[in-house]
Amino acid sequence: MASNSILVIGGGFAGLTAALEAAEIGHEVFIVEKTPFLGGRVMQLNKYFPKLCPPSCGLEIQYQRIKNNPNVKFFTQAEVTKVEGSVGNYDVSVRIKPRYAGASSPDLSDLCASLTGETCNEFEFGLATRKPVYMDAPFAFPQRYVVDKANLTEADKNLVHKCDFLDLTEEEKNITLNVGSIVIATGWKPYDVTKLSNLGAGNVKNCITNMQMERLASPYGPTDGKILRPSDGRAPQKVAFVQCAGSRDENHLHYCSYICCMASLKQAQYVREQCPDAEVTIYYIDLRTPGRYDNFAKKILADEKIFAVKGKVAAVEQDKAGDDVWVTVEDAVSCAKSVERFDLVVLATGMQPSLAGAALPIDVPVDAEGFIVGGEEKGIFAAGCAKQPLDVMKSAQSATGAAMKAIQTVRGR
Amino acid sequence: MSKTTKIEPNLQFVKELQEVGGVDLKKCYQCATCSVACPMSPADNPYPRKEMVWAQWGLKDKLVNDIDIWLCHNCGTCSELCPRGAKPGDLLAALRNMTYRKLVPPSIIGEWMSSPKHLPILAGIPAVIFALIWMIRAAIVGTFFPVTEEGKIVYGNLFPGDFTIDPLFGLVAICVAICFGLGIKNMIDGFKANVPQTFVIGYKKPSLKDAIIDTIKFDILQHSRFKNCVDSPADEERVKGHQILFYGFVACFIVTSIVAMAHWGGKVVHLLEPVGHTPMPLWHPVKILANVGAILLVTGLTLLTRRRLNADTQKSRSNYYDWYLLGVIWAVTLTGIGSEVFRLAGVAPLAFFTYYLHLVSIFMLIAYLPWSKLGHLVYRTTALIYARYIGRLPSGEKLIEDDKILVI
Repeated sequence: MASNSILVIGGGFAGLTAALEAAEIGHEVFIVEKTPFLGGRVMQLNKYFPKLCPPSCGLEIQYQRIKNNPNVKFFTQAEVTKVEGSVGNYDVSVRIKPRYAGASSPDLSDLCASLTGETCNEFEFGLATRKPVYMDAPFAFPQRYVVDKANLTEADKNLVHKCDFLDLTEEEKNITLNVGSIVIATGWKPYDVTKLSNLGAGNVKNCITNMQMERLASPYGPTDGKILRPSDGRAPQKVAFVQCAGSRDENHLHYCSYICCMASLKQAQYVREQCPDAEVTIYYIDLRTPGRYDNFAKKILADEKIFAVKGKVAAVEQDKAGDDVWVTVEDAVSCAKSVERFDLVVLATGMQPSLAGAALPIDVPVDAEGFIVGGEEKGIFAAGCAKQPLDVMKSAQSATGAAMKAIQTVRGR
Repeated sequence: MSKTTKIEPNLQFVKELQEVGGVDLKKCYQCATCSVACPMSPADNPYPRKEMVWAQWGLKDKLVNDIDIWLCHNCGTCSELCPRGAKPGDLLAALRNMTYRKLVPPSIIGEWMSSPKHLPILAGIPAVIFALIWMIRAAIVGTFFPVTEEGKIVYGNLFPGDFTIDPLFGLVAICVAICFGLGIKNMIDGFKANVPQTFVIGYKKPSLKDAIIDTIKFDILQHSRFKNCVDSPADEERVKGHQILFYGFVACFIVTSIVAMAHWGGKVVHLLEPVGHTPMPLWHPVKILANVGAILLVTGLTLLTRRRLNADTQKSRSNYYDWYLLGVIWAVTLTGIGSEVFRLAGVAPLAFFTYYLHLVSIFMLIAYLPWSKLGHLVYRTTALIYARYIGRLPSGEKLIEDDKILVI
């Protein structure tokens, strides 16, 4: 049966934008999100381009629009397992994992605090642990707890059983959605630092990734927004940013990840705002500051304690005696190779499409890197970083474009 | 107003470099990973990033007088980490190949040595010379495969040292020595004009003697700095192979020198004569050393050839200069062993023919030495001594008075 509904896979900034654009025209839209909350990578940022807003700023408006629009239906902890049919008439099987937590529960933070289970907090990129009943962020959407059943201890289970709002007997559900078009907005993941063998492979204590830096700077992150080095909680006085950590590299990601230079400039500003004496050095191949971002770069680089050095860092090592980090680099302008000591080193790791090594059960062509490169004739449209590395603004633009194409595909069916 | 420098690119030179092994040099985007990855690269003006940009710009003058190409021992770490697959390691090898080709006249030999299409000429010259000697001698002794009355094969009866082998190779050796002398002079003149002196505070300048001793003791005899270039089992195999091959050559060189000195010296001091009398019995210490040398050569060659065959061509490509040298040394070694084995077995035709091939391959190894990759024996030694002398050492290392390498 032909359908004029639209499926959006991924509930990040691109997915939400595409869904709302189509829903507000009047189409029924389903969002299928893998994690327990919407908002995607933007939720994990401290501030995002172009205006350096906190994520709550843009996302809360989107969440409001979803809440107020009956055309949008979303499923969290859900994954597409099968797609059958053709353009205009797809039957999509979706598996929804149990959340074990009902809607509109009261504040359960006392219960959460009393639980004994602790597990690595993926939302904080391992910088903190979390309880097995949790919400990612204070403004997480949906405002519903999620129970991580596998990590509940026996004592925890007893406590959870006593709580009327949690139900451990809930079971996995499988549903089928009939849609006419599909928007894939599966986004990106940070490149795996353990593959960067010459940059410490994630084993150097005070060498973190740029996404970890966002969490450190975030007011609701593991340090309440104070930039402190992980090993000893000390405020760093000398910070290095290592650009192209995995990007523009035939041995890793073959392409430029577009936003890392801007992200490092932005994070240099975080450091300088918090620590008036701190020195920041950004090591780069080329500082890529597209379009109007160049003005931002000029402003940041005018700071006399922020240095930009042309030269790619090719060795990051832990100090033998302490927690400091040694960085080896050749300044390609002065032609001097040096070994510098830093309190904290931030790797500007690139964006890898989420679909790299984890293909969807949809017949859609991807390139060697995992970016979607076609499928439009089938009524399947990629949006955001599933298609190419982008910033939030361009991601939203591409989502609007994808929504428009999806609408054109299903219109009149 | 800032002073502008006009770059005059030598595009022909860029093309030539690409031909002799620097195919991917234009892929470089100057990130400087290579200079950091290199364990041998000095702190100021490290290589090979600067060589990459010079090569892209066709700055021939800077490149042909660049001492740094000899500091590189081609471990390939730079090429492995290179984000663009530009293979800086191969470029430095290409620059060394360019030196073999152009440093000393006559440049026609350099030309012949640069491509397999000229191999027939290179092999043909000694093949004709030794075939002529063979024919003339055969006419004199009455047979192509002379054996003694006891039925023994004595190569000296067909190719007598006194008036065929020794004068010929003596002449070749003198020519090679002259060419090398010229090569060393050209290199040092180039270095003087182009390599900046390194200024290091609190550092006593080594004397030329210090630099020579350091180079011979550490770089040549112990391969110490070469061993710093190891970061994979394949690299280890390479250093081991090179060192074993080197000692194999040393053994064979000592044997040849003893034989030559005893033979010619014996004409003056008759007591010496029996020491160098060939063929030697197998228990003769000099013969034992020769056979040990042969075993070392085969072992070293096997390790080095295996590494080249297994190398990832995405990261490093072996070129004609590499294969020519390996091939010729294989030929010298196998024909040498074959000559001994067939002589002992008493198979005269096979023995003499193998010995003929041995002479041809030795000629190909020695006569073209200044234009072959084996020329590094002289050129690299010269460059390393000069580099030690001016204080151009791997970053973090310095030469101190008691000839020890101190790593700080």
